[in-house]
Amino acid sequence: MLFLGILVFAATLSSIAQQPSVRFIDADGKTIAEVPAQRRDAQVYLPIDVVKQVIDPATTHQYNHPRKRLTLKIKGRHIRLQMGKPTVSIDPGGQTLTLSTPPIIIAQRPMLPIAFFKQLLPILNDVDVIYNSNLNRLQIRPKGTWTSAETDNIQNWAIIVDPGHGGDDQGCEGNTGILEKNIVLALAKQLQRISKQQGVQVYLTRETDTNRTQFERIQVAKQNRGQLLLSLHCNASFSPHEKGIRIYLNNPKGQIRFPSTTKPALTGQRLKVLTQVNFLKQSHDFARALQTELNFLTETPVQIIDLPLIALSEAYMPAVVLEIGYLSNVEDLEKLSNAEYTESLSQAMTRALQRYISSVNQQTSAAAIE
Amino acid sequence: MIDNQAATNTSQSTNGYRFSVRFFCEKPFGYQLRETLYYKRLPLNRTTLTARQTEQLSLQGKLFNNAGFSRLLVIWGITFIAVLICLGVTLLLIERSKQVVMPVAPPLLPTAANPSDTPPEPQEVNLFLLDTTTFTLVPIKIERRLHRELRPRLSQVIRALIQETPPNFRNTIPRGTELNEVYIDSQQTAYLDFSSHLSDGHIGGTTAEFLTVTAILKTVFDAFPDDIKQVQILIDGEEVKTIAGHLNLSQPLRLPQ
Repeated sequence: MLFLGILVFAATLSSIAQQPSVRFIDADGKTIAEVPAQRRDAQVYLPIDVVKQVIDPATTHQYNHPRKRLTLKIKGRHIRLQMGKPTVSIDPGGQTLTLSTPPIIIAQRPMLPIAFFKQLLPILNDVDVIYNSNLNRLQIRPKGTWTSAETDNIQNWAIIVDPGHGGDDQGCEGNTGILEKNIVLALAKQLQRISKQQGVQVYLTRETDTNRTQFERIQVAKQNRGQLLLSLHCNASFSPHEKGIRIYLNNPKGQIRFPSTTKPALTGQRLKVLTQVNFLKQSHDFARALQTELNFLTETPVQIIDLPLIALSEAYMPAVVLEIGYLSNVEDLEKLSNAEYTESLSQAMTRALQRYISSVNQQTSAAAIE
Repeated sequence: MIDNQAATNTSQSTNGYRFSVRFFCEKPFGYQLRETLYYKRLPLNRTTLTARQTEQLSLQGKLFNNAGFSRLLVIWGITFIAVLICLGVTLLLIERSKQVVMPVAPPLLPTAANPSDTPPEPQEVNLFLLDTTTFTLVPIKIERRLHRELRPRLSQVIRALIQETPPNFRNTIPRGTELNEVYIDSQQTAYLDFSSHLSDGHIGGTTAEFLTVTAILKTVFDAFPDDIKQVQILIDGEEVKTIAGHLNLSQPLRLPQ
């Protein structure tokens, strides 16, 4: 008997351990709810109660057990589902929707797939739903609907994206032979394409595999009247275990600091360093926007680090260096070689750009009213 | 008894004499020799003494002015001085014998570049190396015989930082990097001149570059808290903007307090 008891206990423990939990996250990266889920054939399913918990507490549901039909009443709309079938009908309106994964029955209970939330929520509310399948995170954020004035404003912004290294300067190298200069160039181009779809104009400091001096990079920024500089790099550490995304800001009084009175200002260098530092607050704001968006993609929180940086020291605009991952870490290397991941990275960066631009626009309009 | 008799007998004589003898008589025995001599130096008064008294007094003088007594004194004195001299010579010899042993000892000790210097004691130095599990720089204690002068001591510490690799810790300076020279200026800035391998052999990445620079800074400031306030990294004798393309190293660097 005792042996059987232990066996049952172990079985339940292992089944609990295997079950994933899905974390619902709001637009600012805060967790709304963390709900236990069921995994079947590489798909994640959630119980009906989650709808009440996350979308609308007034939600009611009817389940016809013999016919395997589920009717959900969310915000005055009737949503009818048939277990095992992908079609969903929404009344009133008579809309039908085909889910990429059908709802199923697990342990006598109807379960909803992630696709239900991803596809249905944007129809019911004005929200965007982003799902991170690696970490089982589901972010619900207000739809990026810009008024025409705001859209114009965003299009007026010129974002300079600087893929680091290039040409002879390879940057760091992964153990698979992948090079930093190639990863960041591909990512920058992807970011340019995706942000253009969202109405954000991105200019690159290099379009090809050529090395550019710091001066040439800043020239590109000046010619395009850049208002924000995002320098893309890959990280490396002496420890193979270190991983994650880091954001660096140019601050001569950071974790390493310049003494205040060492060189006369006559050299001009000190003067330039100071001018970039004039944008430290804006750079911090942009770094926080990036941090909020990128946290969705990583297990460990994104860190913001202040250091005197050569890459940004001569840019007369808010600027950050984004290190998208460690090429010295196997997991990060695998992620960065995955096109799906870099796509989600570009999307997150685009959202960060939008977030930062709209916050600046709000500030300026508020200042104009005053 | 004789003394008392003499005192009473002479009391009727001249003032000076009487006083002198009474004074003599009242003194304890130890003073008698001197008093007798004094008395003898008074020839005028002697004539007034009776023959018996004179005889008695001369007897006294014989007793204390004895040649045998003074000879005894001289013999003992000479013996005493001789013993002292012997003692002194013995001590001197012992001292000399010690000095003879001394020159044999120093060659047994390993470092004696300058014979007038005693070799420096081994000192504890903290080298900042990377703990590969926590990703932080941690101080690792080593013992070294450090040079007394600041400049060679600084280069000893930096060379140790380049070379030491205890298990479970990573060195953050590329293997094969050499320290060419160190300089210290009047503003307590240390200039560390490395070979170009520090830059060429670097793995890249902001974190790695940050770790390399911070390990150097922390080690220097820990070993020389009073003598060095800031550090500038040079490569092959020249100022550099950066070593791996990220950090701005064009100026002397400090760490936040």
